[in-house]
Amino acid sequence: MSSWLDYTINGLIVGNVYALVAVGLALIFGVSRLINFAQGSIYLVGAYIGWVAVVQLHTPLPLTIIFVAVAAALVGLIIERFGLRPLQNSVRIAPLLATIGISFVLDQLVMLTFSPNPRALPSQLPDIRFQIGGGTIGPLDLLIAGVGISSALLLFVFLRYTKLGWAVRAASQDRDAAMQMGVDVNRVNQTVFGIAAALGGVSGLLVGMYYNQIDTAMSLQATLKGVVAEVVGGAGNVPGAVIGSLLLGLVESYGVAVFGTSYRNLFAFLLLVVVLVLRPNGLFASARQAPPEPLTGTFIAPSRPVRIPRWALAVAVAAFAILPLLPVSFYILQTLINAWLLGMLALSLTLVAGTIGQVSLGHAALLAIGAYTSALLSLTLNIPVGLAIVAGGLMSAALGTILISPSFRLRGHYVSIATLAIGEIVSLVILNWESVTRGPIGISGIPPLSLFGYDLISPASVYWFAYAVMVVLALLQSRLLGSHLGRSFRAIRDDDIAARAYGLSLNRYKSLAFIFGGFAAGISGGIAAHLYSYINHETFNTQQSILALTVVILGGLGNVVGAIVGAVALVGLPEMFRIAAEYRILIYGIVLLLLVRFRPQGLLGTI
Amino acid sequence: MSTSAAEPLLALSNVNTFYGQAQVHFDLSITVGRGHIVCLLGGNASGKSTTMKIILGLVKPRSGEVMFDGASLIGLTTPQIVRRGIASVPEARRLFADMSVRENILMGAFVRNDRGAVAQDLDKMLTLFPKLGQRLSQRAGSLSGGEQQMVAMARALMSRPRLIVMDEPTMGLSPLYVDRVLELIRTINQEGVSVFMVEQNASLALEIAHEAYVLQTGRIVLSGAARTLKDDPRVRDAYLGGSEAA
Ligand SMILES: Nc1ncnc2c1ncn2[C@@H]1O[C@H](COP(=O)(O)OP(=O)(O)O)[C@@H](O)[C@H]1O
Ligand SMILES: [Mg+2]
Repeated sequence: MSSWLDYTINGLIVGNVYALVAVGLALIFGVSRLINFAQGSIYLVGAYIGWVAVVQLHTPLPLTIIFVAVAAALVGLIIERFGLRPLQNSVRIAPLLATIGISFVLDQLVMLTFSPNPRALPSQLPDIRFQIGGGTIGPLDLLIAGVGISSALLLFVFLRYTKLGWAVRAASQDRDAAMQMGVDVNRVNQTVFGIAAALGGVSGLLVGMYYNQIDTAMSLQATLKGVVAEVVGGAGNVPGAVIGSLLLGLVESYGVAVFGTSYRNLFAFLLLVVVLVLRPNGLFASARQAPPEPLTGTFIAPSRPVRIPRWALAVAVAAFAILPLLPVSFYILQTLINAWLLGMLALSLTLVAGTIGQVSLGHAALLAIGAYTSALLSLTLNIPVGLAIVAGGLMSAALGTILISPSFRLRGHYVSIATLAIGEIVSLVILNWESVTRGPIGISGIPPLSLFGYDLISPASVYWFAYAVMVVLALLQSRLLGSHLGRSFRAIRDDDIAARAYGLSLNRYKSLAFIFGGFAAGISGGIAAHLYSYINHETFNTQQSILALTVVILGGLGNVVGAIVGAVALVGLPEMFRIAAEYRILIYGIVLLLLVRFRPQGLLGTI
Repeated sequence: MSTSAAEPLLALSNVNTFYGQAQVHFDLSITVGRGHIVCLLGGNASGKSTTMKIILGLVKPRSGEVMFDGASLIGLTTPQIVRRGIASVPEARRLFADMSVRENILMGAFVRNDRGAVAQDLDKMLTLFPKLGQRLSQRAGSLSGGEQQMVAMARALMSRPRLIVMDEPTMGLSPLYVDRVLELIRTINQEGVSVFMVEQNASLALEIAHEAYVLQTGRIVLSGAARTLKDDPRVRDAYLGGSEAA
């Protein structure tokens, strides 16, 4: 049993690690108003470069740290130069999506190079512990504290006493004014990405040594924790990010002390949601300060949608409907069933992200709610599957909307962060609420799909069922978009301030969008549960949320037909070309990057 | 390269500017003579601030030429243009709110590398703007509007520019500060710095300007010596009426 002092020490040490990530995020946000979702990937890269240095090159510790810092900084510079600088004049959403794409690509490259299996990263320090008061502290703890404090000091000196540091500060307060003083903003961007990456990489190295283990799942976790710490401290506020990190470390450590390890992340995300709702500018911003620009304005690429003649659509719908009657392989039907399920999720997301402009990164949570509801109802209460799926849809609509409602007052990137956190919270509640959800064991033996007492076992019947549901949802959504309600949604997306001035209630319309979207996603999750027959808290994860977002952007934000075309393309093409599973995520990341750079309006155009 | 004294310091010729589909400037031509104060008058949304942004390279014109001291500015980045010798006092001042007054003023010398001379210029600013002396370590964001305007002007002067462009330097200031700012513009000009300023308050601007242009929805509708424009009934009708009534 560890003492409270131990938990405090642990919290502060972990907080130091988070600070190294969060400070980089804050610097980047300050200068570019961008939440860099690739920060965790750099941390991952840092950990693996450290592994190469320690295990293969046998470098001494100081050299390892320098090696990792320099290599990670190089990665950061490359990201800035080739991933983000070309997007300088693009729509606001472009750089955010690009960092998501970059993070997929980096993570997958690390995974393909080093395999997804965890590796041990020895700490290179003697394994002794010193007694202090009622707790103990080891050399590695001191190293982490030392690196954290000296980085903070170096950064302080840099920002306060060097010309480039002044340029960074000036650019983060007023980019245009800084340019008018002769500050080269590209150089400033390069600088902050280099610094952020060096700190992030070293952080990954230290964490790997701390737990004596590294694996590719570290990346998303690090991004999430860094974002939490940064937002708690106030986006773009560097000292705030340090304090937010220490606070996060302590909250987690005490939470673990009281409730157990599986609650660690739950506390992190609850802290984030509470701060976002109560003080969206962070704990240390003055209350009257407006949220940093430009989280306002149009967030999607304007374009003229591609017109598809009605008859062509009808022919396509009919062709897919009779497909199972033709001699097609089981494999093709299976692939298309997956595409229809993803299509429903994409319909939901394209409405929420495209039509009303709330770019959700936690959409998989809606799948999970629908899936668990439907599975549990049919399994424990013997409710007919068809009815249970509808109930799943309704539950997802209701619960999803309630859970997401705290984020209604947020805008732009903050909506994305909040929905990401809410998605994580749902998955953590599923993990921890064992009496209902069966916790980490998951739910097995879910009854197969059935309709009016007939089991849908054959691939063709499952295909028709999923296809029909998706087509109906798509038709409903098209009607919705053409209606007065759809126009109000778009008005809110394009200019929420003006929309409010015209008397539109933002909360009501956002709720309606999430209710409709939640229903579609919940239905998709419900069908999936009965199709898979086994689900657990990781079945519907952030990777799926991002995949859905890629689908929606590929098709064109807000575009109903586009969402389905995007789903078929992203599910079908890798199957068609028989691309091995481990390369798929890499390809999704590359697709996202290419789209953002060359066709931000997607294949069929935004509506 | 020889530049004749008669050649204007700054010349915009036939500039056409668009924001997306909307055209903001129609064949705009403006010249600023060496050592002159030139004023651009115009009502709201007539394209005045966009003219400043064209000069500073913050907005690119679709066609037309911008010459400064005999060389084209088209295609240069804002920092490059600043290094050529153009400083700015932006609309609404745009100080670095969380940096100190001292740091703000010194940011104006960002393009210079002569530390000693920069320190001397800072002292000079404090004699030109004596009020700022006691405020040096204060957050710039905590100053009053008039004081902020002083900082913005000091900041612009710190790069030792040949031309200062100012966007509505008197906007939102109390009458006392308005007079002070105009007085300072005259002083700055007497030290050899050319000034191109945008104003809505025509009667005040015409007091200190040598020449003036009147912009109306993106077109120059009147131009000439400030003295003559001041008495021009068309300027009276269009622009002075409002401010005299106020
Ligand atoms: N960044 C911009 N994007 C689109 N339109 C703009 C932008 N900036 C200004 N405009 C429009 O261009 C016109 C001229 O603006 P501006 O030059 O700021 O006028 P002024 O300074 O004379 O008030 C206005 O109609 C304004 O709405
Ligand atoms: Mg203006």
